[in-house]
Amino acid sequence: MIDPGTRAQTIAVVAEILEIDAQKVRGDQRLREDLGMDSLASLELLSTLGERLDVDFELDDAMGISTVDDACAFVDRLRRAQNGRLHA
Amino acid sequence: MPSASGIEERLASALLAQVRRYAKKAIDPGTVERQGPISTRTREGLAGLGLFGLTIPEEYGGLGLGMKGACDMVAELSAVDRSVAITIGLHAGLGTRGLTELGGEPLRRRFLPELAAGARVGAFAATEPGAGSDLSAIRTTARRVGGGLEIDGEKSFVTNGGFAGLFTVLVRTPDLGGERACSLVCVPREAAGVEVGKEEDKLGIRGSSTVPVYFRGVAADFDQILGEPGKGLDHAHRLLVWGRSLLASGCVGAARAALRASVAHAATRRQFGRPLHDLGAVRASLADMAATVFAMESLVGVVAAVHARGEPVEALASAAKVFCSEGAFEVCDRAVQLHGALGYMEPVGVARMLRDVRVTRIFEGANDVLLVRLGLARLTSRAVEAPEALPEGLHEAQRATSALLARLQDAARSRAAYGVSIVHQQTQLQRIARAEIAVQASKATLRRAARAGREEQAVAAHAVERLTREGAEELDALAGESDREARSRAICQWISGAPFRPRRAEPVTEAGP
Repeated sequence: MIDPGTRAQTIAVVAEILEIDAQKVRGDQRLREDLGMDSLASLELLSTLGERLDVDFELDDAMGISTVDDACAFVDRLRRAQNGRLHA
Repeated sequence: MPSASGIEERLASALLAQVRRYAKKAIDPGTVERQGPISTRTREGLAGLGLFGLTIPEEYGGLGLGMKGACDMVAELSAVDRSVAITIGLHAGLGTRGLTELGGEPLRRRFLPELAAGARVGAFAATEPGAGSDLSAIRTTARRVGGGLEIDGEKSFVTNGGFAGLFTVLVRTPDLGGERACSLVCVPREAAGVEVGKEEDKLGIRGSSTVPVYFRGVAADFDQILGEPGKGLDHAHRLLVWGRSLLASGCVGAARAALRASVAHAATRRQFGRPLHDLGAVRASLADMAATVFAMESLVGVVAAVHARGEPVEALASAAKVFCSEGAFEVCDRAVQLHGALGYMEPVGVARMLRDVRVTRIFEGANDVLLVRLGLARLTSRAVEAPEALPEGLHEAQRATSALLARLQDAARSRAAYGVSIVHQQTQLQRIARAEIAVQASKATLRRAARAGREEQAVAAHAVERLTREGAEELDALAGESDREARSRAICQWISGAPFRPRRAEPVTEAGP
């Protein structure tokens, strides 16, 4: 399950970048069809998301992110991996 | 019995001859430019030849030509007048392909016959005051009202807009998907609330129409949506394949005309007691121009062939758009230079060519942004490119192309490892894209030359030598790009007095590709 804090942070950043109300961003929304982002805009968004939340998206991974939920899950997974390394 | 493509080829060839005769007799570029948007009479003449139905299927009264036939026609028109070529090219591509490919049958029956006859002209309205290359930033919105949609917003720089009868409009449709979902909607000019603004005063293509269009509470039915609601951006990119390919072919026509004018001038103008073309520097310039035109034609030909096979062609069409628009500008600029002071004088015609082609580097996707996209596409590409068998005379050019491709693949791999923040290393992506375009143009040139005679093979070899050299220079320059980026930031800060915040960006390896 995605950490609720990570989900809220991710959605807040997505909403800020897209200049829309965070309340209107839902997890099942697709970056292309629902949020009007083409491939370049999506990469810009994921890069900015990475900067703000201090995670690194690989290009191949980014290609597989098509919804807000995908992005939240990816940030969550990266953070857990980073924490795991810190506590190892 | 001749094949469908054979029949299409014959039809295109017969029409091409008619277009050539008509253009020579009836189109005077000076008059077109002076009079502003092309006259109803000229439009009727073009309609009489069937040019408004170029790509519209025969069942709706069009000629049903594929991309190759349409590109050939636009190139022919562009050699005579770029404003006329852009009017027809925009109509045949972005202006009508959305309806043809994505519209429902009743909508197609309603509008395509009029569009094919030229009784209506098609236009594509996507750009806005706050959304140019980034179409995801559009604000024009179609909201659900009652049993239909209501459109509000403003579109800028709408080509053909002054006399268009049908607009394909990119709008946000938040009620039909997420908050920023986009859709394409077909809007007839006579719809209440459509208002066409004043003609723009432009540097070139002054005979074409470019206007703002306002949509104030314009009612539309759901069946006016083209394709799937919410997929407007995807659909727009699909249509832009047509737009960019036809634009590239227009550039080919303009460059051919500039080359022809230069060859004629160099043969008749005498300096230092002999014709200009006896001077080595002039010959070198003419050879470069001819090689560039050959490569441009070759790349557009490959785009049309790939499109005809139904294979993905978006990146290749973008590459052709960038390559041909820059090639046309270079060739027209050289034409002005070769004509000396005469070239700067309007009656000679090459100055107009230069002004006309300048915009092709900007519209249908500014080249700067397309290069970033192409660079990213190369970084994420998994395509395997197999070498082709070529005649011996082209082996050296083929070897240079293969070597450039290998270096390009290495450079792309090393930058892909950098993750999504590479998207902020725009100048690196642009250099990778330029090398990519050099590879694609070289391959297209070699493929065409393999079927050509000795003289054309020599032109091809000249083109590939230059393309691969310039492509390699782009890759060489990657090594110092991070330092240049840091200097650019410092310089911009100095000239603007404002701080330029660096993005999180560890420098990509300075070891080079």
